[in-house]
Amino acid sequence: MLTPAELVWLIAAVAKGDEAAFERLYAATRAKLFGVVLRILRRQDLAEEVIQETYVKIWSSAGQFNPGLSSPITWMASIARNRAIDIVRKRGELSIEEEPAAMEVAADSPDPLARREMTEELKRLLECVGRLEPDRQKLVLLAYYNGWSREQLAAKFETPVNTVKTWLRRSMMDIRECLGL
Amino acid sequence: MMAYSEDQIALAAEYALGTLDAEERVQAETMMSADKEFAAMVEAWQHKLGVLNQMVGSVEPRPEVWNKIKSAISLSEAQAALVLPEAPPPAAPEIVEPSPVADTSNVIKLSVQARRWRNLATFATAIAAALIAMIAVGVYQPDLLPEAIRPKPRTQVVEVKIPSAPTSRSAQYVAVLQKEGGAPAFILTVDAATRNFTVRKVGASAEPGKSFELWLISDKLPRPRSLGVIGNSDFTARPVLASYDNDVINNATYAVTVEQAGGSPDGVPHSAPVFTGKLIETVPLAAPAPAPAR
Repeated sequence: MLTPAELVWLIAAVAKGDEAAFERLYAATRAKLFGVVLRILRRQDLAEEVIQETYVKIWSSAGQFNPGLSSPITWMASIARNRAIDIVRKRGELSIEEEPAAMEVAADSPDPLARREMTEELKRLLECVGRLEPDRQKLVLLAYYNGWSREQLAAKFETPVNTVKTWLRRSMMDIRECLGL
Repeated sequence: MMAYSEDQIALAAEYALGTLDAEERVQAETMMSADKEFAAMVEAWQHKLGVLNQMVGSVEPRPEVWNKIKSAISLSEAQAALVLPEAPPPAAPEIVEPSPVADTSNVIKLSVQARRWRNLATFATAIAAALIAMIAVGVYQPDLLPEAIRPKPRTQVVEVKIPSAPTSRSAQYVAVLQKEGGAPAFILTVDAATRNFTVRKVGASAEPGKSFELWLISDKLPRPRSLGVIGNSDFTARPVLASYDNDVINNATYAVTVEQAGGSPDGVPHSAPVFTGKLIETVPLAAPAPAPAR
């Protein structure tokens, strides 16, 4: 993995239409982005489509990346994740019952990182998430990592959707306060 | 950061978290394109939460994916090249004899005064109320449109694909077409450089046997001009605005009427506008990246 500074450099080159830089950017980031969307979509074919659309968008909007606001990998992952969430929300609305199996599989938690490998920002966020009640910690993390809808979360926590809605909102407000956003 | 309501803050946070439903996501995206500070708030959340991805394991996609990306970007380059060399705009379309329809200038003047609304929702609701009433009374016969054939204000969200802009730096204009107080039904986006426009259908479906048709209404033109029937696909892209000048495009009211299947046969709208809106300039999402450090 390249350093964030190297990624910024590559994105700046991509913004100028540098195809070689784009290929290096892809090589350096594709596996992370694919991991993120595959967790949410749980289907190889859909995840590949999202990756394709994501990099086409990165190519066309690299000039809009602002290193002052975001890190390169977060910016790229947000594009990918937003697209993946859009897809699951729309599929979810067609039929939530379609894949009860997927919900079981998805309950596993992502790779734990050794604490020394975590960035300061991650430690700080986890500290804030850690201040939430245990159920709500899980709620927020499942929502983020698995892209679950409120309905899916309600099923998982055996609680009404409106309660989940309140919990999510409250949790985000608590995190906001804790982070000083 | 400026004062947003707790609802708006929660909308931004939950957009980044991913727990909004499809309809709320479209609302959030609409606000992001209309309000730079709201977009910055969403980005801040995405950045704060994005660090969680450090814990997600990497998975290699198949090599075919790269080939598809490569061919997709060379394709969009080719398309951009076709559109980009901007010829001087052709003359405005032929001026038609004064129409028997009442003069619409008073309708338009009302709205010209207020050019820059920061809050899209307030803007669209305020304008839609005035325009729907005045256009309906002043321009069209109000009794032409029985309540029964007006589409219900459903807000069913269809797949919205974001068309990739041919150039990322040209100004984009967006209009949210909606009923008075209703949810957005169509989102019209105009690229200032190419004058291509796209219509994304977000909350409306035509009754069987009817079509939605998009019109441009301007005080510079004697009568509404058709911009074509809005197809059944999720978004419709057309170059027809190229024949209008920027002033007309920027100040026009865009309205959607319900027409017989396939659109108005005589180039004249046959219903009162069901959804209306005006363009606002969307601010570029972020400053361009600085020159790479050496």
